[in-house]
Order: sequence, then structure tokens, then C-alpha cells
Amino acid sequence: MSQPVVLADPAHKPSRKAPLVWAVSAAIPWSLAAIAQVVWLAAEPGPWWGHVLAAVGTVVGIAVFVGVVPVWRYRVHRWDVDDRAVYTRTGWLTQERRIAPISRVQTVDTERGPLDRLFGLATVTVTTASSAGAVRIVALDADVADRLVAQLTDVAALGAEDAT
Amino acid sequence: MSRPEKAGTPAEARWLRLSPLMLLVHPVHEVGRQIPVLVGAVVLGSATGNPIYAVLALVLTVVVGLARWFTTSYRIGPGDVQLRTGILQRKVLSLPRNRIRSVSTEARLLHRLFGLAVVRVSTGQEGRGDTEFALDGIEARRVPELRAELLAESLAGDEEQPAPGRVLARWAPSWLRYAPLSSAGLLTVAAALGIAAQTGLVAVLEDSEIGAFGAATVARFGVLGVVAIVAAGLIAAAVLASVLQSLLNYANLELRRDAEVLHLRHGLLRVREQTFDMRRLRGGTLREPLLARAIGGAQLDAVMTGVGGTGEASMLLPLCPRTTAEAVLDDLIGRPEVVHGPLSGHGPAATRRRWTRALALPVLAAVVLAVAAAPLWVWPLWAVFTAGCALLAHDRSRSLGHRVGDGWLVARAGSLERRRDCIEAAGIIGWTVRQTFMQRRAGVATLIAATAAGAKSYRILDVPADLAWSVAAQTTGWVADTTWARSGSGLR
Repeated sequence: MSQPVVLADPAHKPSRKAPLVWAVSAAIPWSLAAIAQVVWLAAEPGPWWGHVLAAVGTVVGIAVFVGVVPVWRYRVHRWDVDDRAVYTRTGWLTQERRIAPISRVQTVDTERGPLDRLFGLATVTVTTASSAGAVRIVALDADVADRLVAQLTDVAALGAEDAT
Repeated sequence: MSRPEKAGTPAEARWLRLSPLMLLVHPVHEVGRQIPVLVGAVVLGSATGNPIYAVLALVLTVVVGLARWFTTSYRIGPGDVQLRTGILQRKVLSLPRNRIRSVSTEARLLHRLFGLAVVRVSTGQEGRGDTEFALDGIEARRVPELRAELLAESLAGDEEQPAPGRVLARWAPSWLRYAPLSSAGLLTVAAALGIAAQTGLVAVLEDSEIGAFGAATVARFGVLGVVAIVAAGLIAAAVLASVLQSLLNYANLELRRDAEVLHLRHGLLRVREQTFDMRRLRGGTLREPLLARAIGGAQLDAVMTGVGGTGEASMLLPLCPRTTAEAVLDDLIGRPEVVHGPLSGHGPAATRRRWTRALALPVLAAVVLAVAAAPLWVWPLWAVFTAGCALLAHDRSRSLGHRVGDGWLVARAGSLERRRDCIEAAGIIGWTVRQTFMQRRAGVATLIAATAAGAKSYRILDVPADLAWSVAAQTTGWVADTTWARSGSGLR
């Protein structure tokens, strides 16, 4: 048996705006739910306990998913790249650390959803030949993402293997 | 016209037609496919008193079947193979020849009657339906030649057709004893019963003599007796069905290895033949369903780039004696210690998690039963259920294990279906260490190896958290060479 190996955490955090974007994107569906409840109350004042139950559910949901989860995720999310591998840590309740060797990278994509564009963020996805091995670095500042993509494509071009 | 000839000069490949015998096969298959429409036409015909609809529909179906032959052609060019199909909407499908991963053939009853076979060309992109490259109707004696031609590019250097290689495994009647122990047989019976119930067979039965007989039997043996009789009958039917299915599917199975190519051939009525490129083999999975394991049975799947991880496509051996499956895997990868070697267990935390999971349901059931003041006779049932769960937990924790080194990763887990995944380190192109909240508290993690082969991801369940990266680093060296790797025990 060789020596035990431990991987230190990746160094870089996502953009400072990341928690805000995550909170906003969670707030949109939850506010729709809240509106639906108000409409329900107006249309059918029905049994009071039904409304109370739904309201409590919504308030707790908003508190958790808009208030707590974005901050939690921001504390967990990390990414890093060296000349051999891409390495990320993601998640909140279930956390994942994922590493992929750059020599096996097939594509590097940048993705910017409507909210991302509004806040100037981008997500970089690094795919390998395995559908289970894609590494996603979410919520980067756009300029950081651009630099990262340039760096990755630069390094990846060196390895000219089949990558499977 | 028209026996398909050997493809012309490489520079100017000609469009070829499929076997003209398909003019007889296509209409029959087309009629089979359009049965709902034809039945509709007959109903319409008899409802309007005008049988012309039925005749028209039949003629149209046959014409469409004939037209399929006239509108389908293929071409084997220097760089790619092309298939032109479609009656109204023309479509050309082309595959680069160097991307061809496997060529499989299949012959249904009618095909075999005329000496034909369907040749499927796969690039591993898992084409389904429309995008599938299938040459439906090639004369069987032309198949070996065509196969060699199609694979020539990807199996270069293998063209001189070496002497037929070694047979790795051949079906034996004794394999049939494992057949009822897979779950497929029971499912078949359940499906048949479901269909029977849907078509109103049950309602008919109720009013019939059998129904009366049933009522009389209930009167004589009591409800419990009838339930026992019905259960025994069901089990007998399931056993029969699965044995029959296994016999039809796998009798005369032969797994042969010619140097770098693996040939698998099986089936009594519908003969299937599959070719695997050994250079794309990244390992194998031994699977042992619980009951089959009890009498020493196992099945073998190939882990291969460009071939899906489960089901027919990757199957090398159906349920057969465990020794046979292990010997074949050993022969394929040439690593006896990977196939047979002992595994290191995952420690007390993983075992504890198996037990808490298995016993959660019985405990919950006990609480519910106690609160609901269930009748006394329920409790023995609960005890049996709990004992079953405990056995499951024990077996599951005993199964857990992994093995690294020599460029291979072995992971074993499961009880109802225990699997031993043997993956070549060179095929692993990424790692994930996943921890749920409970796993973090228990200090364990799930290590997932990503590959381009087979099921794409292979997991080692509940490995001690501080060992996870060591396993990864020992398997694939590059993990230890990254800037984040810290060796020794100084950290954390």
C-alpha cells in the first residue's frame, strides 16, 4: 500500500454575486407559488387551516431556498485548475468533489442564462468522453470565465489522444 | 438486377441493393406491423358492409412493404458507409468507417427461412429507431465478408482472417437451472396475468365452470389452501416460462475469441451474433442475483467503450456457473487477482449504515402496528419481515468491498443483485467523491469513477472518507500528481 493521499480543497470561490443570483433564481418560482396562494385565498376562502398550512410551507420554503441555501452553497462551492486537472467542489446538503484530467478533456463550453447575463456571470462546463465525468464550474464572473476557457483550451490542445 | 456484389473499386463505390428475397419478407413484416390498422379496416369494412376497405388496406400495406426494398440501398465508400431509405421522405444515413465499433447480426424466423440476416452497424452512439444503421436483409453467407469489410478500418491488421479462434464458453443444458432465479420469469407471469385481466378473461372465468370449480375448492380447502395452490401454480408457470425463454434465447450460445475480436452468437429461433472489438474492452461486471448466487450462478457483462452498460448490448454470458463466468472474464482481461482476489472491506461505519437503512422500515412498521393496535397474528409476520431485513443488511455489508492496484479498480456491492465491477484504470477519466449529509456525519463517501465505457460511472459505496482519494490516486496516478494532493497523514 502506498501512502494515503488527501486532496486539499480547490482554491477559488465563485463570483461574489453568486449567492444573489441563486437567491433570485430560487425566489422566482417561490414568488409564483405565493401569488398562486393569494389567488386561491381570494377565489375560495375555504377551510382556514388549508391556507395556513400552505402559507407556512411557502414561508419555510422561501426562508430555506432563498435565505439559507444560496449562502450555504457559496460556502461550499470552490473550483481550481492546474496544468493536469480541473477540480470542483459543489452542493450543499449533498456535497460533491469532482476532478477530471485535462488530457482527457473533449470540450469546454461557456453557458450564460438570462439571469447570468443580467448579473454578468457565466458557467463553464468541461466535458470528457464519459457522460458521468463532466465538470461544471458555475457562477463565475464573465471575465474570469473567459480567461478560464482560454487557459483550458490552451492546455487541452497539448494532449492529442483519443480521450476515451 | 441484383445480387449485391462486392463493393466496387474504393474510389467509386456503387449503391447496392439488399437481397431481393426481402421482396418476400418485407410485405409479411409490414402486415405484422400494421395489424392494428388492418383490424381497423376490417371493422370499418364490416360496419359499412363494404369489404373493399379491408382489401385496400391490405394491398396498400403489401405495396409499402415491396416499396421498402426498391427505395433502400447502401454503399460502402472509402471513408464512410451510407444507407439510403424512405419511401416518401428520403433519408441518407452515413457513418464514418473508422467510427464503427461493432457489427451485430440478427435473424428472425422468416429471415432464417430464406437464409437472410439483419446486419446492424454501431458507432457506440446508441442509435435508436430512426438513426439506427441496419441493413435489413443480407444473404447470410455474405455476412462474414461484409463484416470483415465494415470492420476493416477499425480492426486494421486483422484482415487476413486468422484461423477460427478459441471458444471461451459454450452453452450447456445445466445453465437452465439458473434461469428461474432471475426476476424476469416472475415478471413475465405477472404481465400475462395483467393482460388476461385487461381483456376480461377473469370476468369470463368467474361465470364459467372453472369459476364454479374454484368456489367449490374454496369451500373444501379454505381460503389459505387456495392461495397456496394458486401461488404454487404461479411459481410453476414462472419457472416454466423463464426456462423456456432462456432456452430460446441462449441455447447454442457460443463466445469465441479471435485474437482482438470477440464473437458472441446465441438464440434458437432468433439468432443474434455480435462482434466486440477487444481493444475497446475496459473491464467486466460479474452480476449475481441473490437466488442464483445461492446455487453458484453469475452473469457477465462487458465494460466496453461505445457499448451501453446494461442489457442485451453488453451481455457476454447469461446466468451460468460462476466458475465459467469468472474464467471467461479472467481470460479476457488476463488478471486472475482482479477477478478472484480478496477485497478490502469498508469498515464499521459502512456496516452501520447498511443496518440502519435496512431496519428503518421494520421499526417504522412496528410503531405503526403498535399505535394501530394491530391483531396479534400480524406480529409473527412482522418478525419474519424484520429477520429478512436483518439478513439483507448483513449480506449487503458483507458484499461491500473494493480493490485497487495493478492498474485495475474492483468494486463490489449489493445483495439482491451483487455486482463486482472490474474496471481498467486506463479507462477512468474522472473521479467524483460524493457525500450526503448523513454520509458526512458517518465519515464515509461514495467514490464514483467516470469512464467512457459501459455504464459510464462505477461507484464504490460508502468507502471511508479519508480513504476515498487514496483509492483514486492509487488507481490513476495523475490524481496524486495534481497540486492539491497531499500525501502522508499530516492533513486534516
